[in-house]
Amino acid sequence: MHLSNEQIWDQLSERIRQRISPDGYRRWFSDVHVSDTTSDSITLSVPNPIHQFFIESNYSALLSSSIEEIYGSFRTLHFIPRELQEQEQETPAAPLPSTHSSSSKKSTHSTGLNPAYTFENFIVGPNNQFSHAAALAVAQAPARTYNPLFIYGESGLGKTHLLQAIGHRMLANKKGAKVIYLRSEQFINEFIDAIQHGTLFQFRKRYRQADILMIDDIQFFAGKERSQEEFFHTFGALYDGHKQIVLTSDRPPSEIEKLEKRLVSRFEWGMTAEIQPPDMETRIAILQGKASQLQINIEPWVLECIAENILSDVRRLEGALMRVAAYKSLSGKSLSKESVDHLLRDVFQQQTRKNITVDQIQKRVAEHFDIRLADMSSKRRQNSVAYPRQVAMYLSRELTSSTLKEIGECFGGKDHGTVIHAYKLIKNRMESDASLRHLIRHLDKQLTK
Amino acid sequence: MKFIVTKQSLLDGLQRIQNIINNRVTLPILSNVLLEVSEKGLSLTATDLEVSIRTQVPLAMVEKPGTTTLPARRLLSIIRELPAEEISFETDARNITSIRSGPSFFKVFGLAKDEFPAFPSSDEKRGFTMTQHDLKEGLHKTSYAISLDESRYVLNGVLFSFKEGRLTLVATDGRRLALTDTELGEIKYPSDHECDFIIPTKAIIELERLLDDEKEVRLHVGENRVSFDLGTSVLATKLVDGKYPNYRQVIPSETAERVVLERENFFQSVRRVALLSNDKTGSICLNFSENNLDITSNTPEIGEAKESLTIPYKGKNISISFNPDFLMDPLKNLNDDTIILELIDEMSPGVFKLNSTQRFLYVLMPIRVSI
Repeated sequence: MHLSNEQIWDQLSERIRQRISPDGYRRWFSDVHVSDTTSDSITLSVPNPIHQFFIESNYSALLSSSIEEIYGSFRTLHFIPRELQEQEQETPAAPLPSTHSSSSKKSTHSTGLNPAYTFENFIVGPNNQFSHAAALAVAQAPARTYNPLFIYGESGLGKTHLLQAIGHRMLANKKGAKVIYLRSEQFINEFIDAIQHGTLFQFRKRYRQADILMIDDIQFFAGKERSQEEFFHTFGALYDGHKQIVLTSDRPPSEIEKLEKRLVSRFEWGMTAEIQPPDMETRIAILQGKASQLQINIEPWVLECIAENILSDVRRLEGALMRVAAYKSLSGKSLSKESVDHLLRDVFQQQTRKNITVDQIQKRVAEHFDIRLADMSSKRRQNSVAYPRQVAMYLSRELTSSTLKEIGECFGGKDHGTVIHAYKLIKNRMESDASLRHLIRHLDKQLTK
Repeated sequence: MKFIVTKQSLLDGLQRIQNIINNRVTLPILSNVLLEVSEKGLSLTATDLEVSIRTQVPLAMVEKPGTTTLPARRLLSIIRELPAEEISFETDARNITSIRSGPSFFKVFGLAKDEFPAFPSSDEKRGFTMTQHDLKEGLHKTSYAISLDESRYVLNGVLFSFKEGRLTLVATDGRRLALTDTELGEIKYPSDHECDFIIPTKAIIELERLLDDEKEVRLHVGENRVSFDLGTSVLATKLVDGKYPNYRQVIPSETAERVVLERENFFQSVRRVALLSNDKTGSICLNFSENNLDITSNTPEIGEAKESLTIPYKGKNISISFNPDFLMDPLKNLNDDTIILELIDEMSPGVFKLNSTQRFLYVLMPIRVSI
């Protein structure tokens, strides 16, 4: 059953009219329209925020049950107050064309947001649940809950996606909201430009009037002192004006080198959320989501095979999926295990993993901790030596196919119990210690490169 | 800095400012109170960056003017416990303050005043003067209707609307709306000062505490902040960013029935009947018939209650249900003997009215018992 927005409102208003007083209907529903419908939601356009507040508070049960009668299923309700929209369209800083569809397109374009990055197609898993919830809270009530929001995690895990999703949601909630999204490099370039051309005033005005300022990859601010200072003041102006600030980085604020202390403490002021690499189930969900979004039909076992072999990077996951899909549609053949393996041989990290030796790991870890390679197999138990050794054992267990006994041998003839102990110790500590988690991931990445 | 102060006056001063101090702040200086001593006396300042309060405390003796900051909660608990009536303060150059009173001696580490945020200057664009009594009453009659829902942030405060020589205060949470209207007289402000702004909840709570029954209050309205000069104390607050929605839409333009109720009797009856309604989803039903009002509540698995009142009612029979807490809020916060209730039918809002010098209006949406 497909109904136009007008038809839906006709049916809906008929039901409402029967159940509330004529005065109530005239007061609250006489100037309401259905502005948008999707398979699970209905958006009502109302004259003023007061209509939204009172309809939501007093008539939402009535509306939901009426909608259920029409569709036979539940729909979530959204409201758009027209007055707010018009009022914001009048403000000169956000000149928006009159029609609805092009206005959203235009604002999306001017803010530099990628329309594909929305909350709807963000796959939530245990690895990013917390960041997702924080981002959602920020998008719903900017500058109310977590300000600033600082999201960090390795590249390709969805930081930018979350950031832009916040921007999209804010634009949808409040037409004409001044959403500014940019990479830190852009900020720096524009700042330099402003100094050169003496347009600092305009530069400041532009950023300090934002409703939300989102800066991606803030770690590139490291060492740029003037930019940091400028950003410090921008940050202060926005924070004091109750404007939302969202930042992302590939590491926690305190670990960004050459970043001024006062900025670090401000970044840690609000909420710091980490995105971790997705687990197996989430990886499959991401692939399924992507496949259905691109409308390609891939056998489940192929998705599983990709998810099993590509462990961290979401971009790489999607790249592999695209490659398989392209092969399938170009060759017209059905996929076999061999053809998939052949197709993706260079992206499967697992294969490179097999070639890692315990020696390489020891060397890399010793280098990192700045100890002698001989200490890896020594009997010394000082913490400065024992701890790196445990890290190396953990990595050997994770990254090589060597048995516990073989690993023990390589570490100066330790028995397999020692290796298990080290493995468990590091694993437990990783759960509570973010910097260790970070270190392990860093080493892992270097080794599997 | 060195001075002597009586326990009671310092305690009073600290209690006026202590509420806005939040100990879980990220900036340690914000949990401190700023003490500034001059020949005129002691001034105490506290801030949470949103709301700032500065208050004056008379001193028994000033030996040496100066400035420092001290942890507010700790200072308050020390002063409260001190045995003697006179307290002497002395601060050295490293912001260590010695407090002596009778047999007691305390040495408290403070922070330098430089880090303390400056008190917002009252960059006056518009100014208004009114009696503290009127403002206090007005806030008292409206503030309970403020929305606590943070996603509706424009409703997280009270609307102050200065228009045509009057001040209208409005608070609403989407299910009820409270409004007062106070005549200020033409001379109190020029007409080009007319404006609307929203004062956040926290500042309202503090204002209600600080406002007196005598004296006048002067409002200094700036671009995005307002300060209230109360004489001894000054409260400065940021404004809620945004435009208050069109509240007039809520107020019914017509009415069918009108009944005068004795406020106290009605309140007591409702309170008793409400004992048997459910806290969250409870409703209480008012059944109006000729010269009689039955107040009933009926909650499955808890029980039911009923009370009858004789009232001067001549209209048609109406049964209308309300949330008991929302029904009691205005009754509790008014002090007039009688209150007017206007009704249209069981599905339209009930309106409480007072037509005294400070006009009062309370619109309460009914609960629809059956959908």
